[in-house]
Amino acid sequence: MKPAPFEYHAPTSLADAVTLLARLENEGCDAKILAGGQSLMPMLAMRVARPDALVDLRQVPGLDHIRLQDGRIAIGAMASKRAAELSELVRERQPLFHAATRLVGHQQIRNRGSVGGSFAHADPASEYPAVALVLDMEMVATGPDGERVIPAAEFFVTYMTTALEPGEVLTEVRMPVLPPGTGWAIREITRRSGDLALAGVALTLRLKAGRCADARIAAFGIDATAVRLSEAEDALRGAVPTTESFARAGAVAAASLADPMSCIHASAEYRRHLVGTLLERALADAAARAH
Amino acid sequence: MAIDIPTRTDQLPTSATRFIGKAVNRIEDPALVSGTVEFIDNLSLPGMLHCAILRSPHPHARITAIDASAALELPGVEAVLTGEDVERWCDPCFTAPEGWGNYCLAVGKVRFVGEPVVAVAASSRYIAEDALELIQVEYEVLDPVANPDEAMASGAPLVFENRGTNVIQSRTYTWGEVDRVFAEADRVVSRQFRWNRVGANPTETFGCICQWDLADNSLTCRGAYQTPRFMAIGRAASLRLPANKVKIISHAQGGGFGGKGGPRGTDIAALLSRKCDGRPVKYIEDRMEYLLAGGGQSWDRYYDAAIALKADGTVTGFKVRLVDDQGAGAEGYGTISAAKPLAAFTGNYRIEAAFYDLTLVATNRAPTYPYRGYGPPPHNLVLESLMDVAARELALDPAELRRRNYIGPEQFPYTVPSGNEYDSGNYAAVLDRVLELSDYKALRESQAKARAEGRLVGIAVVSTVEPGVFDWNAYATVGVPGVGVPEGVKVAVDVFGNITVAIGFNLQGQGQFTVAAQVVADYLGVEMNAVKVTTASTDVALPHFGQGGSRLGVAVTGAILGACDKLRQTFCRVVAHVMQTEPDQVELMNGRLQLKAAPAHGMTIAEVAGLMLSRSDLLPPGVEPCPEATFVWVSPNRNLPDDQGRCRSYLTAAAATHVVQVEIDRDTGQVKILGYYIVDDCGTRLNPANVEGQLQGGVAQGVGAALYEEYVYDPQCQPLVSTFVDYLMPTIHEVPMTVKDHIVTPSPIAPLGAKGCGEGAIHTTPAALLCAINDALAPLGLECRETPASPRRLWNLLHGQHGH
Repeated sequence: MKPAPFEYHAPTSLADAVTLLARLENEGCDAKILAGGQSLMPMLAMRVARPDALVDLRQVPGLDHIRLQDGRIAIGAMASKRAAELSELVRERQPLFHAATRLVGHQQIRNRGSVGGSFAHADPASEYPAVALVLDMEMVATGPDGERVIPAAEFFVTYMTTALEPGEVLTEVRMPVLPPGTGWAIREITRRSGDLALAGVALTLRLKAGRCADARIAAFGIDATAVRLSEAEDALRGAVPTTESFARAGAVAAASLADPMSCIHASAEYRRHLVGTLLERALADAAARAH
Repeated sequence: MAIDIPTRTDQLPTSATRFIGKAVNRIEDPALVSGTVEFIDNLSLPGMLHCAILRSPHPHARITAIDASAALELPGVEAVLTGEDVERWCDPCFTAPEGWGNYCLAVGKVRFVGEPVVAVAASSRYIAEDALELIQVEYEVLDPVANPDEAMASGAPLVFENRGTNVIQSRTYTWGEVDRVFAEADRVVSRQFRWNRVGANPTETFGCICQWDLADNSLTCRGAYQTPRFMAIGRAASLRLPANKVKIISHAQGGGFGGKGGPRGTDIAALLSRKCDGRPVKYIEDRMEYLLAGGGQSWDRYYDAAIALKADGTVTGFKVRLVDDQGAGAEGYGTISAAKPLAAFTGNYRIEAAFYDLTLVATNRAPTYPYRGYGPPPHNLVLESLMDVAARELALDPAELRRRNYIGPEQFPYTVPSGNEYDSGNYAAVLDRVLELSDYKALRESQAKARAEGRLVGIAVVSTVEPGVFDWNAYATVGVPGVGVPEGVKVAVDVFGNITVAIGFNLQGQGQFTVAAQVVADYLGVEMNAVKVTTASTDVALPHFGQGGSRLGVAVTGAILGACDKLRQTFCRVVAHVMQTEPDQVELMNGRLQLKAAPAHGMTIAEVAGLMLSRSDLLPPGVEPCPEATFVWVSPNRNLPDDQGRCRSYLTAAAATHVVQVEIDRDTGQVKILGYYIVDDCGTRLNPANVEGQLQGGVAQGVGAALYEEYVYDPQCQPLVSTFVDYLMPTIHEVPMTVKDHIVTPSPIAPLGAKGCGEGAIHTTPAALLCAINDALAPLGLECRETPASPRRLWNLLHGQHGH
């Protein structure tokens, strides 16, 4: 379990990193960005990933902020998940993102793993992409032509593939603060604590006059990317938040899944069923938090 | 001289034990927690090369060509080893039964995915792994033998063509009048069970550094060796060396659990050293290699079993048919695992007759190896599950059914139908204590309440016997020769009164170094920090075995007591001589050799040792100036088995009863452990903290086997598990911290009355969890009879889905 040979670069500024990536791209060199290394390093060691070059962002300053910015929360791509977990701002103003963060791996992994890394890695079983869809997050990419903002709905393309161009660095993620009174929940089924999810759902729920006004729901661990469960969202609109309506939404969600993944731990049918159960339970969690 | 091994702590030459029986701090731990232990991968030798191994991607294929020329041209590569070299220099490993062994590298054909095919020695592991990618191997793929049914079908492909069959061994054992008790039974309960492959996963995988001395034609191997002497003999046989030309230096090991064998890795590194003019070659097995085929796979079993009962719940007979998928041959002694249940076939119960139909089959899965507990954990799951089914059918509480069938405390020593003799026990007392500890009545009430709410809550009360201190005779039935497993130590006192204990094994985690120091310190009346425990390499060590078969705490205690008694007798002669009296007028007490009649007159251990080493003029005739003694302990009173495998095999019989409460989530199939209670009885607890640690570790592995771990193969025999992402070792989040208590029924025959307890809860936990799950499912009329009881399996069961 030793990586195949690769060039190693550790630029000390974002400008240098971007220039370097452009040069490597021009040279036909397959470059990969190293952030916290919690996914990439094992892939290198198993020779599953075999880039020609690694561009290590850990010497690049200014990418680890967590701050309120124009009324939204902005997190630098190199901020650790542990920092996000410990951030009062995140905990109080965006509890869904905070709860999702705590579900990522174990503390030791969150110490090292970067927030941006999980978005760029785009593992369909990870929590962040689903939360990004629910919260309409924005990804800030910095490339040779400067910054561009990519909405979450366009960011995740397919299995471990994003809309980032080869020369671009994900530098920041942005999310709204949770409006007061909005319910939220994230639930997942893992084989063990800290494992990638067999299935999970994340959602926000707004109630108005005793009815569900708006629900935004995404599921993860079941398809090539996290998916919005729009049929369940529609089914909830206007419904009275009861056990029955949540069960109905769960059933609608389960039925709406096209072709859930299958693996040795969970068949497609089991995953489909889990999504329904998780949604039903998560809606109850969210309703209890909403007012 | 006659040697006296005390079987009670009050027979020690001390007015009160100061260390034995107390949870003293472990002497192993300062080095472990400060990171100064020299594990094998911390060591580099001058000129050392690094080995990487190309492994078979096919479960069954003929090797038609190997081209390693490009690899040899890669700068840094020093040698490439193939089956051609191996066939010239080696023999296949020896096995029990004989003749089912592979070479260390595939010769002619591969028999499982992960079998070594080519090995490279290079200046770094990186370059060695780069070189593997340049090697071309051509295979002619053969039909795999994926499971025992396929293996035993007529016209099946043969894993070992020269054997003419895939059946390694098939025989029956009849103990008592089995047909009669089943014919006369009021009720027969029978079930089939499938125990899927699991195994040992130590923190540290295998590793070694091997150096072939070309001038001397000898081999030195340093590494993570669990049973160094056994390993040395094996290497001599497979590498065609005289046994006295193989030296094994055992380093501390990051766990073992039986899976960390390393014969293949050692032979490969040794032959690469031979090819590289004697440069040392390091091989560190990585986790993927270990999981694929490193010796961590065990117990791949298909059971069909029945018990016979009288109307009052008396169990009279037990029949087991076991088909055990050994994988590709017997190199890992998986065969032994199927023989070990003979040591406690009928568990804690007075069952008068039993029958075992045992078939060991070769397939193209990875060979199976020992795992903590050896064979009984799955066997216990079968017996205890049948007990629970019977209790349900008879509408008896499962605790009550067990109580009615326990061997009574007055019946020991008790010979079980399968031949072994249990030394002592009080199973009803263990049960009483655990029912009280768990507040069993309250647990049942909470279960009734939960059931009324539609929740699936279950409780199990499961009892098992842990055979302790193994003997080879237990495995004679699968072709292992011999009686008596030695454990030798040397106890040496220096001129200042410090004491060195030289042992043949190295530390592995269980705490035997501490036990050794406790026993020496109490016997010779010194402080524990005056005792140094050190590991001798195999060229100078006394006969020994080391860790295995719940034996070493007892065995090393016996060895030290024997050596200390020899020292005591010598010291008495010396002191008698200088005090001008007879040796029998002198006694050892609290670290002093004193006159029995006038205890104020005497000498300390240090003074006697100093005198012996510096005043030879004062020594009595025939006494050497050597305050040292050796002793090789062996279980007393062992015998050869009869034609039904019956013998006094394991010396001690510890016992435990677990009470566990679980809840199954109907909608997800997930199992939550709500409460876990253990009462055990392993006789004298030499170091209670060690016992508790072993118990808790056994619980963890039991939780893994019952709920999480499984080596999954597809129908073409391709392993689908190669990392910890898919092989699900339970973490601290999944393992309950159990509530524990114990009772003490000392062994009347083992040193200091201590029973083997190293395997501990793995004997009991898988059965306890599965029984609790089935208790939870009982109102639905469902039973889970396959391990692990994963969410997917339970969900399929609950929702009427079939298959995987």
